[in-house]
Amino acid sequence: MSETTIAGYGFTIRLPDGWEGRIFRRPTPTDAFTPANRNSPDPDVGADGWLGERPRAVVHLADFALPPQRGDYGSGAVEIMGRLNCFVSLVEFGSECRGTALYGTVGLPRVRPEQFGPNALARRLPGQTGVQLFFTESSRPLCLYVVIGSDREVASSSTRVNQILDRVTVAA
Amino acid sequence: MMTAIVAIQGVILIVLGVLVTGLLRAYASVLRRLHDLDNGGTSGFRTTEGVATPRVVAPEPGADAATWPVAHDISGAGLAGDLIAARVLGVPHDTVLIFLSSGCSACQLFWEQLGTRRPAPGSRLLVITKSPEEESPAALRQLSPPGVDVVMSSAAWSDYRVPGSPYVIVVNGRTGRVRGEGSGTSLDQLTELMRVAGADAQPPAASAPGGVRKPRADREREVDVDRVLLAAGIGPGHPSLYGDPGTDEVPRPAPGRSLDLVAAEPPHPGREARR
Repeated sequence: MSETTIAGYGFTIRLPDGWEGRIFRRPTPTDAFTPANRNSPDPDVGADGWLGERPRAVVHLADFALPPQRGDYGSGAVEIMGRLNCFVSLVEFGSECRGTALYGTVGLPRVRPEQFGPNALARRLPGQTGVQLFFTESSRPLCLYVVIGSDREVASSSTRVNQILDRVTVAA
Repeated sequence: MMTAIVAIQGVILIVLGVLVTGLLRAYASVLRRLHDLDNGGTSGFRTTEGVATPRVVAPEPGADAATWPVAHDISGAGLAGDLIAARVLGVPHDTVLIFLSSGCSACQLFWEQLGTRRPAPGSRLLVITKSPEEESPAALRQLSPPGVDVVMSSAAWSDYRVPGSPYVIVVNGRTGRVRGEGSGTSLDQLTELMRVAGADAQPPAASAPGGVRKPRADREREVDVDRVLLAAGIGPGHPSLYGDPGTDEVPRPAPGRSLDLVAAEPPHPGREARR
């Protein structure tokens, strides 16, 4: 099996065997997602987000088949991942976040087993655990969000997550 | 007068002959088309006009998996300008790759059917089109139903040697090899062919429909005989089942005696049962 590299929006990832990835940026919302229209039968109403939102790059990496419809923090994907699977998301934020305390860590961090916990999950699912870290890399404010399929596999899974993070480069 | 009648009859006969010949030719043509639609009695995919004849979808039982083409991972662009790298090799599931284009009329039905059905439950579905330089992303966005993974990758077309669209390739994720490929007129047709071919590739189960099964009458008869023998005390290994070693004859009850009298003799120790 050959190594695959994907690159776009300033991210380059050399994917190891068994991993796949997506780099994307959602379209800029053109209509407001309001309480009045959120019950609209039209699935396209408000589907892109909130009016005024400025979507930025998102990277999804996983060692399982990523479904076509996913939330930035993996909704749609984490529900189908297996016990031994890992999901990694890198979400970019606006330049107004640059230099703030939350994004004070410089450089793409690596994860440690003790950092994981179910409270970090955007959506708590039985057995799963995760971690969310904010940082700045190449002057880009970013969030690293990792979900592991089983809290009993944190040690081995965090090693594998760090191995793929070693293969991520972020350009300014 | 008589000559004229004979001549008219002759003309009528000739016309009737031509009509009958035409009908027979039409009938033969219909039979030929029906045979083609039935896939010629094979379980492989069939091709639309202009598309090369594919390999059969399933290898013969016992065929070496290494004889099938090596599969390739898919990487390319999404319809929204996103970058996609999808694993096809070394995964625990099959992947169904459907190669379509926006301009091909035969693909229209595939696009429509993709919105409501999936070709192979349990498999991953990826729709592959040519790269943005050779395709119209705007047209594809109009055609692609929500929730369908579309990857624009001319490299995938080249890697898999796709002869034209529509074309479907099924990849075995565990072996990393192509399981079957071909074309068809609709997703429904290919789904059925994949299902049949997949079943053909599997060794038949003991209870599989179409397998050799014992007729119900035989089973009922055997149950009745067993019940009578057991009621008479004759079970597996009973000496009455083996006859006399010297004569090699099976002891039979005398007329008027029931089986339980025969079964009253003690079993011979050390004699192996035949069942």
